[in-house]
Amino acid sequence: MVDRSYDFSGLKCFIPLLKLSAIYPEFKPGEIIEVVGDCPTFEKDIKAWCSKLGKTILNIEKIDRKVKITIKI
Amino acid sequence: MKQQRPCPYGGYLICNNPLCEYRYATSEVLHLCSDVLEKIALGDTSQKIDLKFERYAVQRLINSINKVSQELSGIIDLAHELAIGICEHFDVLNRLQGGDFTATALEDSPIEVVKMLGHLINKQKDRFVEYINKIKQQNEEILHLYEQQNTILSSLGVAVIVTEENMTIEYANAEFEILTGYTKKEIEGKMKWTEFFATETVQEMMEYHNLREISPSLAPRQYESKLKDKNGKTKDVLLNVVMIPYTKKSITSIIDISERKRIQEQLIHSQKMESLGFLSGRVAHEFNNIFTGIIGFAGLLYTKIEEPSLKNFVEKIIDAGERARDLAKKLLVFSRKEEIEEIQEINLNKYLEDFSEFIKVIIGKDIELKLNLLEQEIFYKIDPTHLEVILMNLVTNARDAMPEGGELSIGLKEISIDIEYSFTHPLMKPGEYVLICVSDTGIGMDEQTKQKIFEPFFTTKPKGKGTGLGLPTVFGLVRQYEGQIHVYSELGKGATFKIYLPIKEKKIKEFNRDALKGTETILVVDDDDQTRGFICSFLKEYGYNVYEAKNGQEALEIFERNKEKIVLSLVDLVMPGIPGIEVMKQIKRIKPEAKVVIMSGYPLQLKDVITVEKTISSEEILFKIRNMIDRKE
Repeated sequence: MVDRSYDFSGLKCFIPLLKLSAIYPEFKPGEIIEVVGDCPTFEKDIKAWCSKLGKTILNIEKIDRKVKITIKI
Repeated sequence: MKQQRPCPYGGYLICNNPLCEYRYATSEVLHLCSDVLEKIALGDTSQKIDLKFERYAVQRLINSINKVSQELSGIIDLAHELAIGICEHFDVLNRLQGGDFTATALEDSPIEVVKMLGHLINKQKDRFVEYINKIKQQNEEILHLYEQQNTILSSLGVAVIVTEENMTIEYANAEFEILTGYTKKEIEGKMKWTEFFATETVQEMMEYHNLREISPSLAPRQYESKLKDKNGKTKDVLLNVVMIPYTKKSITSIIDISERKRIQEQLIHSQKMESLGFLSGRVAHEFNNIFTGIIGFAGLLYTKIEEPSLKNFVEKIIDAGERARDLAKKLLVFSRKEEIEEIQEINLNKYLEDFSEFIKVIIGKDIELKLNLLEQEIFYKIDPTHLEVILMNLVTNARDAMPEGGELSIGLKEISIDIEYSFTHPLMKPGEYVLICVSDTGIGMDEQTKQKIFEPFFTTKPKGKGTGLGLPTVFGLVRQYEGQIHVYSELGKGATFKIYLPIKEKKIKEFNRDALKGTETILVVDDDDQTRGFICSFLKEYGYNVYEAKNGQEALEIFERNKEKIVLSLVDLVMPGIPGIEVMKQIKRIKPEAKVVIMSGYPLQLKDVITVEKTISSEEILFKIRNMIDRKE
């Protein structure tokens, strides 16, 4: 069950990352969040963010040009 | 003629040969370039056109697009690096903001700005941690200071309050809680100081308060007042009020002087009685001499006169003289000038039992007599006539206080007055006393009467019924034996007279030697070789098995090994190393039902601890041990 979901479609490059960082303090440990983006580097960016901050990627789903990533905080 | 094929983007393809540069129509190349550029624009820098053209313009376009893709890839990578770096720092800042000072920003980013930012965050964090530690240290110092002040305030043994201008109590120490019976929670910020003082004293205190507001020097700094506690009990207190500089607050220290006043009054009363005794003694002595002359010469005159009417007058003179001499004699008793004639050792239990038959006759049938005597026989060296006078006076007074009947109790016991008790009752010296207690359920006395009952010629009885010399005589006799007499009475609640007679030499109890014998095993712990040796030898003499230990450690080891055999441990109170009480506790930890007797060089009473004085006879120690083993104690 997803606790929060965010759609970053239409945002380019590292903007979704910065937005995620800005809302990050609201997250509680153990929460499941879902992010959607269509930027070609979105998946790579989210993976890098998770790896740097020690978060776990639960699932990556590609729908057309969009990517939906589920993360455990 | 080359076969023309329509291009999907418009126009025609001119060649199918994959190696032919004309394979792609210009329009198709342009479209391909446009597609690639669009993808690059979306951020996909993996796009690259891998085609070679001889046409310079086309090739230059392709090269330019590839270069844009490559350049943009670098920029995007940099931007990602920047974004991730910022994210990381963001995370560190968030953790710091949440109070997690273990968070540290990485300073290894290839981007100088991110690296600098990380460095700055860490430096700021260090400064912040340093600042927090300093505040913590200051807080600890303040807390320590506060604890210290609090300890000082509570260990002063003086109640202290801080009051605000509106008279509300801002602070009260533990002593004030004890003094008033209220808790800090109930007092601080809620109660006014005026609520704690007797109504009659508040007005004067308020005047002082108002004067102090104008100038502290206008009101006395120290004065006496009456404090009212939670149960409504009034206590005499001494106040010391000081204003806190630059505020309208004041600090008041309050000392309970009720006990001091009571002792003072006791001493004053005692001094008054001493002076009265001295004065009446001197007067009685002088009068006695005069009366001897009067009675003597009147007697001579009586023998010389023949005339019956004159003889009758002389008889009356002699009679009056004798009555006056009796009065003087009683005054001499009060002043303790009378000689003690016939001191005997009296078995007080038996004496009181015998005397009670006589008392029953005096008090009549409406008053019930109760004798409270212990099984233990009490002996005391006293002139039996004096004891009779004392008891007779107290009993007749008790009878007169119960005209409609009641209960008269006479109790007897031996008590020990310790140093602590003698501090609060300065007239009582520490030691062993015989206590004779005479109580009635009669009309009782008010405070004023109580203060005067031992004064000669003071009486509450109707004219002609009492001489006012009964209790002064009792007082004089008790004092003659260096005893004390205490009176407890309230109007309507009867009266109790407690007579304390000091025991100067204690009759040594006679023990049945066989009854003291035993075959049990006893552990003796004493660091003094001589004492330990002496105790062990008399224990062995009486048949006991003995283990010896010269210190606590050795005692515990022996006890651990022989806990089933040892029925009782005799442990010295003061020893180097583990003290006696601790040895006792540890023995009880090894064997909870273990019997332990603490030995001390002086009389002492400890809660839940059975003690024995080393100075008492070996038979008495054996008696105590035997009783302990047989579970009589």
